[in-house]
Amino acid sequence: MTDDSTATGRRRRGVSARQRPLWLLAPGGVLMTLIIVIPLLLALYISLIDLDQYTLRRWLDAPFIGLSNFTEAFGSGLPHSIWISVSFAVIATAATVPFGIAAAVATQNAYRGRALVRAVFLIPYVLPSFVVATVWRTMLQPDGIVNTVLAKAGVAGGLWLSGPKSYWTLVLVEIWAAWPFIYLMALAGLQSVDHEVYEASAIDGADWWPKLTRVVLPYLRGPVLLACLLATLNHINNFTLPYVLFGAPAPDDVNVMPMIVYVTSFQGLRFGLSAAMAIVSLLLVAIPLFAYLRALRLDVHEDGDRT
Amino acid sequence: MSRRRMRAVVALAGALTLTAGLAACGDGDEGGGGGGKTLNVLIGANTQYPQEFRAWQASISDKFKAQTGASVKFEEFATANDELTKIQTSVVSGTGPDVYAVGTTLTPTAYSTGAFVKLDDERWQKAGGRDRFVPATLGISGPDEQNQVGIPFVSRPFVMVYNTELLKAAGISKPATTWDELRQHAKQLTKGDQHGLAVAYKDNFDPWKFVWGMSVQAGNPLVDGRTARIQDPVVKQAYQTYFGWLTTDKVVDPAAIGWTNAQAIAAFAEGKTGYMALTSTTAAKALDGGKVKGKWSFALLPTVPPGATARPANGVEAASILSGDNLLVADYSKNQDLAFQFVKLITEQDAQLDYYKAVGSLPANAAALTSLQSDQKLVPVAQAAQKSVATPFTGAWADIQLAMTNVVVQSIPDLAKGSVGDAQLDGRLADAQKAAQSALDRAK
Repeated sequence: MTDDSTATGRRRRGVSARQRPLWLLAPGGVLMTLIIVIPLLLALYISLIDLDQYTLRRWLDAPFIGLSNFTEAFGSGLPHSIWISVSFAVIATAATVPFGIAAAVATQNAYRGRALVRAVFLIPYVLPSFVVATVWRTMLQPDGIVNTVLAKAGVAGGLWLSGPKSYWTLVLVEIWAAWPFIYLMALAGLQSVDHEVYEASAIDGADWWPKLTRVVLPYLRGPVLLACLLATLNHINNFTLPYVLFGAPAPDDVNVMPMIVYVTSFQGLRFGLSAAMAIVSLLLVAIPLFAYLRALRLDVHEDGDRT
Repeated sequence: MSRRRMRAVVALAGALTLTAGLAACGDGDEGGGGGGKTLNVLIGANTQYPQEFRAWQASISDKFKAQTGASVKFEEFATANDELTKIQTSVVSGTGPDVYAVGTTLTPTAYSTGAFVKLDDERWQKAGGRDRFVPATLGISGPDEQNQVGIPFVSRPFVMVYNTELLKAAGISKPATTWDELRQHAKQLTKGDQHGLAVAYKDNFDPWKFVWGMSVQAGNPLVDGRTARIQDPVVKQAYQTYFGWLTTDKVVDPAAIGWTNAQAIAAFAEGKTGYMALTSTTAAKALDGGKVKGKWSFALLPTVPPGATARPANGVEAASILSGDNLLVADYSKNQDLAFQFVKLITEQDAQLDYYKAVGSLPANAAALTSLQSDQKLVPVAQAAQKSVATPFTGAWADIQLAMTNVVVQSIPDLAKGSVGDAQLDGRLADAQKAAQSALDRAK
């Protein structure tokens, strides 16, 4: 907080910190309270009570059971699901980055048909997840087109939608559907590179490789890191893709967190337990977010550093 | 300080205005004021015959208006999960539809919320009386006769469908009545690119229906009071039979490990499969659209357990799970009398026949069902409706059927390799038993 003397000093130039019309934020604040804070608190409360179909009707009277839901969650399939979700999300993100950057670099300079190429690149991203999953599920049937083609090449495709390979199916389809996001962010980063920088490096006689690694990529670090963070969170939270690809109950190898929360909540009707799982998943997602915000200090406002 | 207080007041006022606004919206939904009341009915969407379904809704609304002066507003849900969500929110908020059409296996779950009107004699009379229904359809209306909430609306019993030409060519004069006989027929029918049996191993619901049926026929209802009986030789044999069609008997197309029910029907409709073991009347359209048009017929599912030639003394002649829809009246409804009048109207013989003609769902009304038996094709289906047996009436059932399906889901890689090992099956049955028992322990 700035002290009063500096506030008075600034008065001439504008409004002081104290005088800022903070009440104008009230509508936003109210909406945030209604849409985010209250449901979050409610979820937290539900995770502490024994709420299921038997107690749902008088949910305020549902027995308070402290952390029992959390212990039960960790005793059941949740740790396995966390492992699946996190590893899947990290692999998917790591694999999409080279594709995204390569595509962005490839469409950076103007050439004939560039608009078309850019549009084509975006197709996987604009298709609804449900459609993507349905099409892939059809292609990956035991007697589907993928296995037919593989068989012609002399490779036995085997099972894509059940068993251990289902994990890699999920990763593969997610990569296919999600890489354009990295591409978009990288493209936006490239647009922000000053033209003078290219000219300067050209004058210095830099070849394309040093130009790429020393000039272009450093500019992309920020946007691509942000893209990685957002993409990882999206992967972790993706429900439609595994649900449509594999159905519920899911094979153990793809029983990701959203799936286990969904099954616990809407098939097992154990709302308390599933709320506990959702809270754990929220905390998990908050870790990379927090680390990123600390690292990049996105929360710094224009007045300068904050502690 | 006062400024801060002012901020708080403004924020609070804003919040109150918003909340009041939202509440007002909620009130508006309830409607029903003025002379003509409105009855809200939640019913499953019909994706197969959407136009016919809408037409039926319009005509029943007109009839209801003529009878009572009140209008009916239908609200549709796409999946059982949508319906469950709607029930949950309505139960919590105490507002929502007056009448729900709820699937039979979901009825115990709905009952366990305690949010639906229990039917005493007076209410049964208002709804037209118990006597008008096929007795078997009342099997899942409540835990016992004093605590019923569900009024039967339609039946969707499960049956087999077989290819009449292929069976004739193989010298089989009538469809199988025991599971062993079915296996034998399927072996006879399997040759070249032709398969004896179509099974949807990857379906999210089919697997447990097979296992439940075989187990009940062998005398194990899976739930005994508050004890789950999944780790039981009879259940294990049921799973082994179900897996064996593919792994040891080799009468099923290996691609079936990826099939849902609709895919299995589609495969059968190609005309190169002898039997499709689990379907209902709603498949008729798909069958008539395929190469089997005019060459298929429904048959009762076997009712003698695997490995036996006759049912044991404690075995039950279960031809199908009791499947269909029940009508439930919400206890928060302010239009309960109207709701029961509506229920009475749509369970009358004529209305039930109209509904059958519109969308092909079998009547729960006994007289209406009898009148349909002149159609030879429907005779086995009507029999299946009469020989349907209710799944255990417990709020834990949703978890139990999930656990039973999960045994198959996790076994699919083994199925693909050609055998499900004894130890693996035992392990998965133990997991299912644990999940089922813990669900039963929580049941209130």
